[in-house]
Amino acid sequence: MNIFLYLDENTWFHRLDPRTKVIGVLLLFGIVMVFNHPLYMAAVALGLVLLGAAAKALPNFWRMRYILALLVVFSTVLWPFFAKGPTPLWSWGRLEVSRESLMYAVAMGLRLASFVAAGLIFLSTTTNEEFTHGLIRLGLPYPVAFAFSTALRLVPTFAGAGATIVQAQISRGLDVESGNIFQRAGKFIPLGVPLFIYAVRHTNMLAMALESKGFNPGEPRTWYLNPQMRRADYIALAVLTVLFLAALFLRLQGYGQVLPRL
Amino acid sequence: MKAVITMWKNTRMIILVAVCAAIYAAALIAFKTAIPLIPGITEVRVANIFPMVFSLLFGPAAAWGSAIGNLIGDIFGGTFGLGSIFGFIGNFLLGYLPYAMWTTLKPIADGKRELALGDWRSWVLYIILALISSAACGVVIAMWLEVLGLVPYPVLVTIITINDTFGSLIGGLLLLAVYGVVRRQLRLIWWDVMEPEDIGKPAAGVLGAWLVVVGALAGWILGAYVLSGQALIIGIITTILILVGSFLM
Repeated sequence: MNIFLYLDENTWFHRLDPRTKVIGVLLLFGIVMVFNHPLYMAAVALGLVLLGAAAKALPNFWRMRYILALLVVFSTVLWPFFAKGPTPLWSWGRLEVSRESLMYAVAMGLRLASFVAAGLIFLSTTTNEEFTHGLIRLGLPYPVAFAFSTALRLVPTFAGAGATIVQAQISRGLDVESGNIFQRAGKFIPLGVPLFIYAVRHTNMLAMALESKGFNPGEPRTWYLNPQMRRADYIALAVLTVLFLAALFLRLQGYGQVLPRL
Repeated sequence: MKAVITMWKNTRMIILVAVCAAIYAAALIAFKTAIPLIPGITEVRVANIFPMVFSLLFGPAAAWGSAIGNLIGDIFGGTFGLGSIFGFIGNFLLGYLPYAMWTTLKPIADGKRELALGDWRSWVLYIILALISSAACGVVIAMWLEVLGLVPYPVLVTIITINDTFGSLIGGLLLLAVYGVVRRQLRLIWWDVMEPEDIGKPAAGVLGAWLVVVGALAGWILGAYVLSGQALIIGIITTILILVGSFLM
């Protein structure tokens, strides 16, 4: 199974500079945060679906469809009991549901799903290398970026090693299929020991390999991958900034809110 | 706190950050959709057996490794969003507090870095730190998600605290199994890997440790059960206490 979400397409979104994508997704998060009215949030969510279609990221939306649906349902069920509104619909003891809290709950479900959708668009159009490089160009210290990219590279390796360890134990008679879900999860815990040892053994060898090649975390570096900001990047950032400011302006004018809270 | 910054000069510590992050992320992804508690926010985290073990073995590398690992788990699990920012900070604390408080939470701690795994007092400290670091992680994340309006604070703080505490307690078995290998065979215990001058001494470690204890327990119990109507304010105040306390250690 491929755990990476990147989709190798050639859309305008894929061609943007990684810095634009990092800042752009933060602006999208900002837009998602502004409103708490379900109709306004539905418009934002629809906009993200259209953006996802333009970026050819919809296959990942489909892959995450259960999570996206659960986010909306769960939030809609949970929030009415915690947000208070002036128009009561139902009450039982200390529990109370109001018209506003119900609408707020739907909006929060859409907000949560919109966050995930914005993240999915970003991850569908950005390779790990571009992501790391974008963070470095935005000022992240190189050693931190190096650790991040190395971890990204090692995740599939360790996941594969974990799967091999599980298969080896199954071939020796370990039964991971029986019992309830907690018992089954518990059977995986002892398998953490060989995975841990396997992974930590890598550390010394990897450190020696890096040092033998002159790795020095504090030294300045040159880059093979060197993306440049183009006109399309500036246009994309300008459009997103205007959208964010417009949304903020509307909210400050009293539009798009059912409750006076974020 | 000094070691958290100076460790980035050390190649082995950088690799340990990557290894901790990758193990944690791989386990998070493997169990991401197995038993969801709040879909898209948290689940039964089998992976949480790792951060406290990492912390006591690899010190500051575990703090960064847990934070980055959780971020990667969010990215690959499809739940990357604005909530991931405080997920990063909360998991940083989950990896930072156990090793930092192991020597500073006096008089319960004896001030020695070496883990005396045969001594019952070490295990009492282990259990206390499992609860405190989990509650601190829960308070910080739940406060942020309440601010964002995503999940109510009283619900999430309790789920994260209990979830992480159980994970850390089960992790004790893992620690027993691997401590000797890491300490004596691989020689990767953090205070051996780092230079003594890079580790430094905490400015006000004992005060910091107790601020974290007060912040974590007050944030959880008051915010979730006693004054849940004022949960956000309690969450913000106790988060500040936890962060200031962490900085002092």
